[in-house]
Amino acid sequence: MATMAAPTALRPHTDAYGGESGIWAWLTTVDHKRIGTLYLFTSLFFFIVGGLEAGLIRLQLAGPNKHVLSAEAYNQMFTMHGTTMIFLAIMPLSAAFFNYLIPLQIGARDVAFPRLNAFSYWVYLFGAMFMNFSWFIGAAPNGGWFGYAPLTTMQFSPGLNIDFWVIGLQILGVSSLAAAFNFITTIVNMRAPGMNLMRMGMFTWNAFVVQFLLVLAFPVITIALVFLQFDRFFGTNFYTIAAGADPLLWQHLFWVFGHPEVYILILPAFGLVSEIIPAFSRKPIFGYPVMVYATMLIAFLGFGVWAHHMFAVGMGPIGDTVFGVTTLLIAIPTGVKIFNWIFTMWGGSIRFTTAMKFAVGLVGLFTIGGISGVMHASPPADLQQTDTYFIVAHFHYVLFGGSMMGIFGGIYFYYPKMTGRLLSEKLGNWHFWLTFIGMNVTFFPMHFSGLLGMPRRIYTYEAGQGWETFNKLSTYGTGVLIIGTLFFVYNFFRSFSNGAIAGNDPWGGGTLEWSIPSPPPEFNFARIPRITSRYPMWDMKTPALTAEVPHTANGDKRLDIDVAGKHTAEGHPVPIGNEPKQPAESGMHVEHATGESAKDLGIPMPNPTIKPLICAAGLITMFSGLLFIHEDKLPLALTIMMGGALIMVVSLYGWLLTPLEDAH
Amino acid sequence: MPVPTRLRRPLAAALPALIAVALTACNNAQYPNSVFHDHTEFNRQVGHLFDILLWLGGFVFIFVETLLLYTIWKYRRKSENDRPKHVHGNTTLEILWTAIPAVILAIIAVPTVQTIFKTQAVASADALQVEVWGHQWWWEFRYPQYTTTEASGKIDTLTTANELYLPVGRKVNFKLQTIDVLHSFWIPQMGGKRDLITNHVNYLWFTPDSVGEGAWNGFCAEFCGTSHANMHFKVFTVTPPNFDAWTKHQLTMAAFGAVAPAVAAASAVDTSKRGAQTPQSQPGPSQVVQTTPTTGSPNAAAPGTVAAASIGGQPMSATPVVQQAGYVAFPHDKLPRHVIPQTPLPAGLAYNESLKGDPQRGLDFMTKQMGGGCIGCHAIAGNPMMKALVGPNLTHVASRTTIAGGIYPNDTKHLTLWIKNARRMKPGVIMPTLGAGEYDPVTKTNIPKTGLNDQQIADIVAYLQALK
Repeated sequence: MATMAAPTALRPHTDAYGGESGIWAWLTTVDHKRIGTLYLFTSLFFFIVGGLEAGLIRLQLAGPNKHVLSAEAYNQMFTMHGTTMIFLAIMPLSAAFFNYLIPLQIGARDVAFPRLNAFSYWVYLFGAMFMNFSWFIGAAPNGGWFGYAPLTTMQFSPGLNIDFWVIGLQILGVSSLAAAFNFITTIVNMRAPGMNLMRMGMFTWNAFVVQFLLVLAFPVITIALVFLQFDRFFGTNFYTIAAGADPLLWQHLFWVFGHPEVYILILPAFGLVSEIIPAFSRKPIFGYPVMVYATMLIAFLGFGVWAHHMFAVGMGPIGDTVFGVTTLLIAIPTGVKIFNWIFTMWGGSIRFTTAMKFAVGLVGLFTIGGISGVMHASPPADLQQTDTYFIVAHFHYVLFGGSMMGIFGGIYFYYPKMTGRLLSEKLGNWHFWLTFIGMNVTFFPMHFSGLLGMPRRIYTYEAGQGWETFNKLSTYGTGVLIIGTLFFVYNFFRSFSNGAIAGNDPWGGGTLEWSIPSPPPEFNFARIPRITSRYPMWDMKTPALTAEVPHTANGDKRLDIDVAGKHTAEGHPVPIGNEPKQPAESGMHVEHATGESAKDLGIPMPNPTIKPLICAAGLITMFSGLLFIHEDKLPLALTIMMGGALIMVVSLYGWLLTPLEDAH
Repeated sequence: MPVPTRLRRPLAAALPALIAVALTACNNAQYPNSVFHDHTEFNRQVGHLFDILLWLGGFVFIFVETLLLYTIWKYRRKSENDRPKHVHGNTTLEILWTAIPAVILAIIAVPTVQTIFKTQAVASADALQVEVWGHQWWWEFRYPQYTTTEASGKIDTLTTANELYLPVGRKVNFKLQTIDVLHSFWIPQMGGKRDLITNHVNYLWFTPDSVGEGAWNGFCAEFCGTSHANMHFKVFTVTPPNFDAWTKHQLTMAAFGAVAPAVAAASAVDTSKRGAQTPQSQPGPSQVVQTTPTTGSPNAAAPGTVAAASIGGQPMSATPVVQQAGYVAFPHDKLPRHVIPQTPLPAGLAYNESLKGDPQRGLDFMTKQMGGGCIGCHAIAGNPMMKALVGPNLTHVASRTTIAGGIYPNDTKHLTLWIKNARRMKPGVIMPTLGAGEYDPVTKTNIPKTGLNDQQIADIVAYLQALK
C-alpha cells in the first residue's frame, strides 16, 4: 500500500514526455501518448467544426423557407457535417483513446510500430485538412456522406466537390488501416506477463474488436471509392449509367463498409463506459465474458446486415426478410450489454462524477436509439421511416447519445491520466446537463418530424406541413448543445493549468493505467507489471474484496509463477529505488518514477523521427495531384503526383533504414 | 447524490406520454403528411406493424429506463467507506436477458415477414398501371392503359407532370423508373416509399380505398442533388367517374382553343360504373373551363388566387364526392391548404403585369419562331412542333395546380416569372433563364437583349393557360 501514497505531480505535458517540449518534439514524436494527445486535440477541433456545420443546418431549418444557406451551400453543409463527424471527429476521438490507453491497459511501453503510429496521425491530419480545404475554394463535397452513385459520377457532379470527397476518404482510409494493424499487433504481442486475453481491460477488448472491423470494412469502401475515382478521372464505367451500370453496386459496397462503420463508431464508447461504470460503482463489470462475446457477436453480425440501409431499393421479399431478421438479431447482444451495465451498477456504490453521468447517459440514450433501430429493422415499417427525419433521430441517439456521451465520459475519466489534472466537476456538471437536455430537445422531436412526413436532406420546406414546431424545437436544442460544448471547451483548456492535481489514481480504478503516474512517464512502466487478474489495482488496494475470485488457472491466488517466469527476461525489469517490499505478492508493481528519464533507467525507447510526417506529406501530395487532372492540367498533375510519390518513397526508405531504437 | 434522478424520472415518464399524445394528434389535419393515415391497405398493414413495434418498444423503453433510474438511485454512494461485494456475473440472469429479448424480437419478426410478403406480392392484373419517371427535379406520370391515336397515327400515352390522379377504390400499381440519378417515390399518407433506381424497374402498389376525394402531398425521399428539397408532387384521389372524365380530358389533343366541356361530361356519365354508388349530380361550384381563353386579363385565370382565398377550414379527406359535368381537374376551390405551395418568390423578380398576352401569338412564337427554345425540351400533344421529352409534358398544363415540381402555384404570376427566370426560382433547374436582362445564376451572366421580353412571355403564358 505504501507505494500508492504521495502521488507525484508532474507538470503536465512537459516533464511527462521525458522533458522534451517545443514544436519539434511534437512533430517528431513517436510516443503513443503524445500521438494520442495530438489525435485528441485535432479530433476535438473537427468535432467543433462539425458542430458549427450542424448549427448552420439547424438555423436554415429553424422555420419554413429560410435563407441562411442556399440549396448548394446546404448540400455541402450536411455532406461535410456527416463526413466530418464520422471520419474526422468520432473515429479519431476513438483513435485518441486507442493510442493513449491500449499500451497503458495492457502494460506495454508503446505500441508495436511507433513510427507507423505517427504516420497514421499525420495522414489523418493532412487528409482532414485536404478535405476541408475544399471549403476555401467553394467546392466542398455535396453528394452526402453516403455519396450514392450515379449522383456522384462525372455526369451529375462535374465539379471538384466529389473529387475532394473521393480522394479525402481514401487518404483517411490509409490512416485507419495503418492504425488498425498497429493496434492488433500491439494487443496480440505486447500484453504484460500474465495478462491473457480474458484479463484485458474492457476498453482494450472493445478496441481490439474495432481494429478487426476496420481491417475488414475499410478495404470494401476503398474498392468502392477506387471504382468511383476511376470513373471520374479515367473514364471507366463502374457506375456510368449510360453504359448500363447498376448503381446498386455502389450501395452494396458502401453499406458493407457503412454498417460495420456504425460499430466502429460505437464500440470504443462502449469500451470507455465499461471502464467508467465499474470504477464509479466500485464493482467489477458484470458478466465480463458475456460482455466480450457480445462485443464480438455485434461485430460479427454487423457484417451481415448492411442491406437494411436499402430496404427501399426493391431487393424483393427474400432479401428484405433475411436482412430484417439479421438486424433484429443484433439487438440481442446489444441488449445484453445494456443489462450488464445496469447490473454492474446494481448493488454497487455509485459516485456521480461527470464521467459517470455521461456513462449513465449513454446507457439511457443508447437504449432509445436501439429501440428506434428495431423499429426500422422491420422492412415494411422501415419503408415509412427510411430517408425521413425519424432515421436522423435514430442515428443521433446512437451516435450522439451513444458515441459522444461515451467519449465525453472517457475524456472526463482519462483527462487526469493524460494531463495530471482533473477537469472541473462543476463545469462538467453544466456540460453534462446542457448536453443531455440539449441532445434530447434537438433529436427527440425529429422522431415526430420524420413520422409526420419530413424527408431528410432537404434544405427547405414549406409552411403548413406540420413540421414547424418540431423543427423549431430541434434548433433550440442545438443552441443548448452548443452552449454545453462551450462549457466543455472552457473546462478543457482551463483545467490544463488550473485543474486539481490528480495523482496516479483519482477515481479508484481497477485497471493497470491507474498504477502509474499521471501523466505517465515516457516509458509508462518502469518495470513491466505481472498480471494475475482483471482488476490488478483492486487486488492491491482491497485484497479482501477480490479474494474470492480465482486469479490463475492453477489455483494460486496471487502469483502466476508460470507466466511471470516466462516473461521476466523480455520485460526488461529494472529494479529502481523505493520498491514495494513484496512486489510478487501483489502481482503488481507501482513505482514513483519521480522524473527519471528512460535513459536514466536504462529503458530503450524509440527515437523521435520526422520521417513519418514527411512520408504522410508525400502521400497527400501524391493524391492531391489528381485534382489537377480535372483542371485539364495533366503535366502539372503528373508533376505533383510524381513529386509526392518521390517524397513518400524516399522518406519511407530512410525510415525503414533507420533503427527504431538506439543499439542496446 | 440524487441529482440526476430528479430530472430523469419525469422525463422517462413524459416520453411515452408524449408519443401517445403525438400519435392521436397525427390524424389531425394539423399534420397533413403523417404516415399514420390509413387510407390504403398498405398503410394499414404498416400501421399495424408499427403498433406492435411501438407497444413493445415502449414497454422495453419504460422497463429499461425505470430499471436504470431505480438502480442509480438505490445504489448511489451513501458513504465513502462503501465497499460493495464484487459480483462478477450471474449465469441465470444473463441467460434470461438474452432469451427474453429474443422472444420479443420473434414476436416482431413473424408479422414483419408476413407483411413483407403481403406488400410485395405481384399486383393484380386489373390494377391501374402508372409509370413513374423521376427526373432532376420533377416527376413524370404516364398511364399506359390510357392512350389515344393522333391523326398521324402516333400513339400518345396519357402523360402528366407532378400531379397524380388516382381513382378511389382501385388498386394502383406504380412502375418506378428514373432517367437520371436515384429518387424515391413517397406519398406518406398512402404507403411506404420505393426508390427509383437507374437501369432498374421497381414496383409499388396500394389501393386508396378508405379515402374520399382529396389532395395529398408526395415527395422525393432520396437525395438527388441541388433541388432535392424542391421535388414534390400532388396526389388527387377522385371518384372513378371523375377519374374517367379526367383521363378522357387529358387524352384530348391540345387543339388550340381548348376543350369542349360537353364531351367530357358525356363520357363521365358513360363510364361511371365503378365505385361511385352515389353519383350525386349536385352541380357544385361550376368548374371554370374557359372556352375562349383568348380573352381575359393575365390575372383572370389565376387559380392560386382562388385557392388562397379558400384557405383554412378545408377538411382534409371529407371533401364530398362531387361529380361534375366536364370534370377536367380537381377543383381549385376544394384544394386543402397543405397542397397549395407556399414557396416565396426570390427577391427582385418582377414583370409587367399590365401586359395582355395573346395565346395565338404565343403559339406562333413558340413553334414557328422557336422562341425561347421551348420546343427543345417540351411536348404538347397535337402540336407537331412540340415533341421533346426532356421537360414536363405541357399538353394540359393549365389543368395542373402547380408548376416547377410542385413548389409554386400554377398562376399567371408564377408562370410568367418561371419562364422569365426559372433558375432563380429553383436552384439547379435545367430550364434556362430566358428573360432579357435577367441574371442567370448558373452562367453568372445577364441574359442579353435577345432574350424574351415581357410581351413575348405574356403571350407564351396566355398560350399555356389555354391548354386546359
